[in-house]
Amino acid sequence: MYRQVLRSQWLALRLPVVLLAVLGFALPLLTVTYGGALENAPSETVAQWLFASQKIGVLIPGLALLVGLLLGIGTWAPDHAGKHVYALSLPVPRATYVLLRFAAGVTLVAAPVLALGVGSAVAVLSVKLPGGIHAYPMQLTLRFALACLVCFAIFFAISISTRRAALAVLGLLGGIVLADLVLAALSISGAASVSETVLYLLTNWPGPLAILMGRWALFDV
Amino acid sequence: MSKLIRSVVALSALGAGVQAASAQTPAGRDAGLRTLLARAESLAAGIAREDSVAREAQHRERLATRFDAGAVTVILPASVGDATGRRFVEGAARILDSAGVIPASFIATRIVVAYAADGVDSLVRAARLDKRVRIGADISAAPDTLADGLLAADVLAQSFRGTLDPEWRKWLPSDMGMGWNMRIEGAEAVRQLMAGETRVGALCLGGSAAGCRLWLGLDRGAMPYQAAEIRKLLTARWPGNRGVASQCVGGSDDACETLVRDSLLIPPIPPVPAGAASRGSFLRAVRRLHGDGALRVALADTAGPVGDRLARASHVSEDSLVTEWRSWLLTGGGQPRVTADLRDAVPAALAAALLLLAAARTGRWR
Repeated sequence: MYRQVLRSQWLALRLPVVLLAVLGFALPLLTVTYGGALENAPSETVAQWLFASQKIGVLIPGLALLVGLLLGIGTWAPDHAGKHVYALSLPVPRATYVLLRFAAGVTLVAAPVLALGVGSAVAVLSVKLPGGIHAYPMQLTLRFALACLVCFAIFFAISISTRRAALAVLGLLGGIVLADLVLAALSISGAASVSETVLYLLTNWPGPLAILMGRWALFDV
Repeated sequence: MSKLIRSVVALSALGAGVQAASAQTPAGRDAGLRTLLARAESLAAGIAREDSVAREAQHRERLATRFDAGAVTVILPASVGDATGRRFVEGAARILDSAGVIPASFIATRIVVAYAADGVDSLVRAARLDKRVRIGADISAAPDTLADGLLAADVLAQSFRGTLDPEWRKWLPSDMGMGWNMRIEGAEAVRQLMAGETRVGALCLGGSAAGCRLWLGLDRGAMPYQAAEIRKLLTARWPGNRGVASQCVGGSDDACETLVRDSLLIPPIPPVPAGAASRGSFLRAVRRLHGDGALRVALADTAGPVGDRLARASHVSEDSLVTEWRSWLLTGGGQPRVTADLRDAVPAALAAALLLLAAARTGRWR
């Protein structure tokens, strides 16, 4: 059954999967377009190159977000188009069907992850690094895989959620903004901003979005 | 100015009056003169009254007003206003706390007093702050001096610097790391390290702890420059060189070393290649990586070179400390390089599992 679900998902999402894989392969290679022979280069050149590497690294979590968005929402696109009739006609419990869709989606997510891994390996092999600068292709690929998994799960869940769940999430966001407005109106000194606190909790360890933060440079000290 | 104008007007009025009166009959002239004199006297009294009011207002504006935040006490003229004064002193406390160089116990023994404030003595007596040392500061009501508390933090830092031993005074950056910030001073420190002006800087950038120690000037008596580098710097930064400098440019390596060792040419060639922002970054890194206590213990230590003191206080070797600092600086404040270990994987996997569970339990076809 997994194969059939994967096949249907691949047919529906092959274009974004291929595009994301190309992007995943190209991003690490962008770093080395600044030059590769750095072994005896002046330190200023190495510095500029390192900064460029770090700047390009910032794009990688963005790519993870894009992978999650396109594949997470795209996973349910055929079901939404067919008003979920196909899913309801299958002789499997709903939870099993969701699990199959998730597993097939994660399999497709593996394509851009593998492409980024290969791109990183090619980039690392094409440069001669000076002392003190190291390459982290494996860590970068694994982190990208984890980030893609989280982003995929978020959009996968949002896409299949009921209107009530969507309203609850929107209500929660509205409540946070309202709480901030009330705190600002009351001018309570020392009161922390609710939205800032929530954002901090989400984006700092062990928050679910912490994986998207931090450093993403293929080459670093 | 207005006083002068008024006086001129009064005298002109008097003169004109006398001229007009002289053209009249004797009886009428006397009466006219008296009236004019009375008017002039009244005008003069009015001017004096207004002057007194203005002086009083000025005094009120300059009247010493005390602001406190934490251990910091600042006396400012009242014209600064409550909100601005409070913001200023709170800013100073924040900067001092963030730098972590000066112990609160020291700050609590000082008062920063604006030169422009009047009646400081009576305020200090009334507030029983007599025992505190007053440090004068050129703080005016101008918005640029009150924008943050940097000015007060700076005068306190300079006062503290005076209590340190010569080794520290020589090594510490002139601003004592006050207001150091990763975005501005941190970027400047990275730029200095990467400028590639010295071999030790390049070695440090490449990961050599010995290179970093020399570049930061942590070892007493070490020579961070090569003679050729000194010549190059002299030629570029001080073309009209004389004396020992010209001997150095002429090819004498000993003369070049003397220039640096005896600090003869500090502006073109500082004895420590690392600039103030870089030394400030080292202080900040020690504090961030080894806690508030490490920096204060090191600053209280007077034995050995600066590097030894900081390493002893941090309970690590000097080489480890400079290696930590290098990574901390080059990674923009100690953010670790890209990682993907269990610490990252567990929350990510848990979040994905929870979302999958949520997706399985709720759905559009329920």
